[in-house]
Amino acid sequence: MTILDVNNLKKVYTTRFGGSHVQALSNVSFSVEQGEYVAIMGESGSGKTTLLNILASLDKPTSGEVLLKGKRLSTIKEKEISSFRRENLGFVFQDFNLLDTFSLQDNIFLPLVLSGKSYEEMSWRLQPIARKLGIEDILAQYPYEVSGGQKQRCAVARALITNPQLILADEPTGSLDSQAAEGLLRLFKEINQDGQTLLMVTHSVKAASHAKRVLFIKDGEVFHQLYKAGMSDEAMYQKISDTLITMATGGARHE
Amino acid sequence: MSRFFYAKLAATNLKKNAQTHLPYILTCIGTVMMYYIMVFLSENEDLGNMAGGSNMQTILSLGSYVIAIFATIFLFYTHSFLIKRRKKEFGLFNILGMEKKHISKVLMFETLYVAVISLGAGLLGGILFSKLIFMVLLKILNFEVPLGFSVSGPALAAVPLLFVGIFLLTLLNTLRQIHLAKPVELLKGGQTGEKEPKTKWPLVMIGMLSLGGGYYISLITKSPLAALNKFFIAVILVMVGTYCLFTAGSIAVLKLLRRNKGYYYQTRHFTAVAGMMYRMKQNAVGLANICIMATAVLVMVSTTVSLYIGMEDVLRTRYPQNIMISTPVPAHQSAEGLQTSVHEVLAQHRLEGKAMLDYRYAAFAGNQEGDTVITDESKMSNASSSVRQFYMIPLEDYNRLTNRTAGLGDNEIMIYSSRNVYEEDTLTVLNRTFTVKERLDSFFENSLDRVSIMGNYYIVVKDMDVVKAMEKARAEENGYDPSSYQYYLGFDLDANEADISAVYQDIRTAVGSDYPDSRIESPVAAKASFFAIYGGLFFLGIFLGALFIMATVLIIYYKQVSEGYDDKARFEIMQKVGMSREEVKDSIRSQVLIVFFLPLVTAGIHIAFAFPIITKLLAVLNLTNVGLFAWCTAGTILVFALFYAIVYGLTAKVYYRIVSCGTSA
Repeated sequence: MTILDVNNLKKVYTTRFGGSHVQALSNVSFSVEQGEYVAIMGESGSGKTTLLNILASLDKPTSGEVLLKGKRLSTIKEKEISSFRRENLGFVFQDFNLLDTFSLQDNIFLPLVLSGKSYEEMSWRLQPIARKLGIEDILAQYPYEVSGGQKQRCAVARALITNPQLILADEPTGSLDSQAAEGLLRLFKEINQDGQTLLMVTHSVKAASHAKRVLFIKDGEVFHQLYKAGMSDEAMYQKISDTLITMATGGARHE
Repeated sequence: MSRFFYAKLAATNLKKNAQTHLPYILTCIGTVMMYYIMVFLSENEDLGNMAGGSNMQTILSLGSYVIAIFATIFLFYTHSFLIKRRKKEFGLFNILGMEKKHISKVLMFETLYVAVISLGAGLLGGILFSKLIFMVLLKILNFEVPLGFSVSGPALAAVPLLFVGIFLLTLLNTLRQIHLAKPVELLKGGQTGEKEPKTKWPLVMIGMLSLGGGYYISLITKSPLAALNKFFIAVILVMVGTYCLFTAGSIAVLKLLRRNKGYYYQTRHFTAVAGMMYRMKQNAVGLANICIMATAVLVMVSTTVSLYIGMEDVLRTRYPQNIMISTPVPAHQSAEGLQTSVHEVLAQHRLEGKAMLDYRYAAFAGNQEGDTVITDESKMSNASSSVRQFYMIPLEDYNRLTNRTAGLGDNEIMIYSSRNVYEEDTLTVLNRTFTVKERLDSFFENSLDRVSIMGNYYIVVKDMDVVKAMEKARAEENGYDPSSYQYYLGFDLDANEADISAVYQDIRTAVGSDYPDSRIESPVAAKASFFAIYGGLFFLGIFLGALFIMATVLIIYYKQVSEGYDDKARFEIMQKVGMSREEVKDSIRSQVLIVFFLPLVTAGIHIAFAFPIITKLLAVLNLTNVGLFAWCTAGTILVFALFYAIVYGLTAKVYYRIVSCGTSA
């Protein structure tokens, strides 16, 4: 079943007085199936973040459409967009985006509290997730008291706790040391094996090599894609590297 | 060339930081103006030459000291806030290759600009407005307004002296901070991880006890005398209580709320409670300051306003009759001569004394210790709160004036206490012991006790023999010329102020020669000096009130701005994890509202509890019109709240702009 459908997405930024136009996305189309683990790669300025913001309904495309489980994002009313985002999407950010004012547990609860869930339900939902992510012991602590890896695991827990259709991750390993990054990627794989659909935007070849499919974006378009199929992480790593080199040296476009 | 560069950079910096620097410069200008005007008034010769003007100028020069001290603390505080915000900028300069001495140079130029602008505009404004304020003051004092315009030399000298000092102080403080800091620290600026505040139960307890104690004192104090002594204790207790409860109490309450899971995990409460916890940690002291300042403004303005408005009342209370004469009558004289002189004067003016009141009495002061009174002046302590004034009146005069036919035995007395309560059953004074036969609830109107803030006792004794004996014993004990008794004569006149004033002058000459120790009073004669003192207080109350309001406004403004920058990141995250823009706005609004109005509401509660004790204090100043004071207080609070609400509106706008700029969706 298709979870996410992206059709002919185009985004043009205009400076405030309409002076100059910058085309961030020119024509992007792809779809994500239920249970997939997709990585999107591209150089800085290739339009990755713009794409993610549009998928997250934080930004609107100039033309084209995004369908989440068959529902067109552009048809959702302004008032409902936040609750829609809360219930259907989970987010993991490069800089964690945990609030210093809350304990880790309260940070994880935040989206549920906003949806008006009771404390009992929240703690009942948290238990299995916390156990899986290995953060049971630090729940009472505050973000500034724990390591980057622990913070990111809590952010993952916050994304998972709403049982979202899709988790969007923006450079999730970007602020982590190699060991913590390795741990997080293993975690993503496990979550994916449990049936969670994941979409990750990343720079890191290492991170992308864990995904089942990698999309390459260049100059605002999907340039190429790779399927992992039965490949090992190492073989995938090699393949991604080769593709990136080809892209950088101006190779011809192929699907 | 390079000097030119620094000067230019400093100017650009000021322009770029206008949002925070403009209010600061405006405040500097305002403070300079106020200080100039205050010094101008206290040194003004025209004012000094007017009746009561020198009293007034004493009050005003006191006011100028208050402004000077206040300006120093306040501008210093505000400036340190500005610098805190700009540390990152300095760090950047440093990393881009500017040495600390270069940054210092830029800062020196900046301070120079601010100083020149503030002093220039402030002095100009001060000179222009001083005439206006002078006229307002004279209007308040009921004086004629002289023509002409003057610039005060002493004020022109004093203002730059004070403010150059203040600016130098702020500059030195900044340079010290820049000098001590490392570039990386400068870059990080204020964003060090905030730890969660701890609950300090002892502080909460101290806060509750002292606040409760302060309120309790205000509520139970019955006599004006006690009010005077206890007012300052109450003020200090309330201040301590406010600081403790704002800092520790608020955290304790928020933590209790957080422990209540059913309450805490609700959309409305969740972000508010956690947000408030951090706000209170950072701002509790500032908010307590605002609260205390607001309370001070409200008390000061409402009391001075009601004293000024109620001046006629005060005059009437202080001088219950149009003409009042009291004199010791020497042994070889009688009071009849005095009566004759007064009647002659009245006949000359074709006037008749109305509500004529005359009685004989003995008067003395003493330390009351239980039922015994010490009257020996070598053993008396004037500072003690047990000082009482005693007036002994013969039964004959009392019965005549009250139309009673009471009887008294040899050592029996009737006692009436004003501004105090006499609780004993006997009274021993000058080696004589009296038994209290009756405690009187009321006494005939008289003015003897109006200037004494201590307790007063009116004691009705059997006859003139007792009165004379007491007066004699007292004189012997302290080695005075013995006079046989005291005499009081007071009456009203059905005439205009000018006529009363003429009668007053004539009586002074007629009576003064025969009775050199007599005291002759009239509200007409006292009016000018009353206007000078109460009008001066009124003026000072309003003037300082305006200054304090300005300070409060600025502190609030800076608080909101700095919080805006801190909150920005927080609210961006909340939007990203699924809070709608409306929810974010609601959450911001409720928190900002609480932070803003907590001090005002607390100040209101303080005022409500202070009301009883302040009415007693005003009674000491002869203002007994509680209704008037209540209206003035309510009015002052209303005006203040209005000001506050306007500031809130303006500040909230700036805050929203900071928080929402750059957020998407």
